[in-house]
Amino acid sequence: MTAPAASRTDSGKGREGTVFDIGYRNYTGVREGIGRSRRAIFKDGIRIALGFGRGGRAKILPWLFITVLSGLGLIMAMIAGAANRLAGPGAAERLNLPSHNDYYGIAATIMFVFASVVAPELLCRDRREGTINLYLVRPLGGSDYIMARWGAFMVVFLFAALLPQLILFLGLAMGDPVPLQYLKAHWLDVPRFIGAGLVMTAFTTGLAMLTASFTTRRAYASVFLVGLFLITTPFTVGLSQEIGGKVGQWISMFSLLNIPLHVSDVIFGAPGELTEQAPARAFGSAALISWYALWTLGPSVILWWRYRRLTP
Amino acid sequence: MTVQPTPLLSAERLTKHYKNVVALNDVSFHIHDGITGILGENGAGKSTAIKIFLGLITPTSGKAVVLGENASENIGVRSRVGYMPEHDCLPSQVSAAEFLTHMAETSGLPPTVARTRAADTLRHTGLFEERYRAIGGYSTGMKQRVKLGQALVHDPAFVFLDEPTAGLDPLGREEMLELVRKTHREFGISVLFSSHLMADVERTCDRIIVLQGGRLVESGEVQQFTKETETVFIEVDTNREELITALQRRGIAVAVDGSGLTIEGPDESVYDQIRDALVESEAPLRRLAPRRRALTELFERA
Repeated sequence: MTAPAASRTDSGKGREGTVFDIGYRNYTGVREGIGRSRRAIFKDGIRIALGFGRGGRAKILPWLFITVLSGLGLIMAMIAGAANRLAGPGAAERLNLPSHNDYYGIAATIMFVFASVVAPELLCRDRREGTINLYLVRPLGGSDYIMARWGAFMVVFLFAALLPQLILFLGLAMGDPVPLQYLKAHWLDVPRFIGAGLVMTAFTTGLAMLTASFTTRRAYASVFLVGLFLITTPFTVGLSQEIGGKVGQWISMFSLLNIPLHVSDVIFGAPGELTEQAPARAFGSAALISWYALWTLGPSVILWWRYRRLTP
Repeated sequence: MTVQPTPLLSAERLTKHYKNVVALNDVSFHIHDGITGILGENGAGKSTAIKIFLGLITPTSGKAVVLGENASENIGVRSRVGYMPEHDCLPSQVSAAEFLTHMAETSGLPPTVARTRAADTLRHTGLFEERYRAIGGYSTGMKQRVKLGQALVHDPAFVFLDEPTAGLDPLGREEMLELVRKTHREFGISVLFSSHLMADVERTCDRIIVLQGGRLVESGEVQQFTKETETVFIEVDTNREELITALQRRGIAVAVDGSGLTIEGPDESVYDQIRDALVESEAPLRRLAPRRRALTELFERA
């Protein structure tokens, strides 16, 4: 449709402009269906988690945590590098300075607080503001929505977990007098820290997302998660040491911070600083891995169950 | 009005029970191209019917067909359907442009197309200038436009509008009703307009469906209902009783309405008979005027 809305003569010299009103155009192109819908929710989840497309305040917390975690990896690499330069090659290993497995133990607290902030952003706001009602009338179901959000959280958390490890690995290699030799000797650390990062991520994702699904208030979910992750550890450690024996070992199993770290120990083949003295280690690797699987799959399955039949 | 052979929406003996509560009871109707109003009080079954058409709940018995597909079996049909809910549903932190792009993608449109469609839709709904502002800072009227925009951004064949004028001031309401009319007239998108505001439905819709207590009370063209309920109002200065007698003698049912008389559903010939009755009764005529009843009376009749 063309509307000869305005014509203008520039200085009266015959130059004319016309405004075209193209009107409403129907869309006749391809509609990509449920796959595109899932990808859109997933992509939006990553943007929410990192604060993209939102105001400055939405970016502060996630990027502060990522910076702190990366800084931690960088500091560990610099200390190891300095030790190697001052006390000779291999000094960092001889002095038993913290490395890849220890990093997860050291950073776990910060990582869980990061999860406590990000997971509620992904789920609570959609329900509080009612946006989920618009998703559920699109060509996707509740389980598609929650799986896409679950995946988005997992990717962001994995990024936050692996970036410092990568910085640490490169830092250690650069700090070594012969970097190539370090890479040859320690290349197995890469699949190990990736595997341990996945273990940490899968565990945290299920638990954090499930907790966030129970409330529309982000603050409630965050506070509850921080309490769940951080308070259970000193409480269970103290109680297990006090009681001791088999009961003490079982109480030690409920230290949520340690559950993924025990599996990380299995991957690295040695206990980390945080789990070395944990009474739960007495149960053995198979029991600790099964316990981890229960705490990882359980919350994720319950989360899926809650969302699968969700209607506006 | 041309009735299309294939309806866009069909309810075929639709029944929905929630435990002991009957939300819809053996309801059947067809919805064709145009703007159709669905009227009913709270609990009449409007929302249940819309949810069944959107495939969000399955009927206890019967079938809901949307654009030729069984709504509860094929959620893919939702990519050709839009829905504007009554309640708040907008994210406060993002801009309208960003939000509509995302909703277009969620409906299955490729990202580049989604961006273009979002900008176009915001232009058509009158929000183009404000499209980069966070939705949280919008007025109620602007938010209603964003809600309508997200329902239209993927160019659906059919759109469900649930109380689109809720919370708007008279000017905003007028503009929203014009947008609804434009949605069908210019965009070619058929509309199911759910409301309990009779005036909005009467002014906007071509056809209506009236539900009450989960049952279908009426369905048909709006004009048909208003015509059916047309009356002639007569007011005379004196000799009112004589006029009534003269009218009744001519077989015309007449009712006393305040200071005047009313004759229901008259055809053209009744005016000649009224003239003759006035002459016969020697009643001085003060007022003779056709009067239309509002759709509210559909509920009174039910």
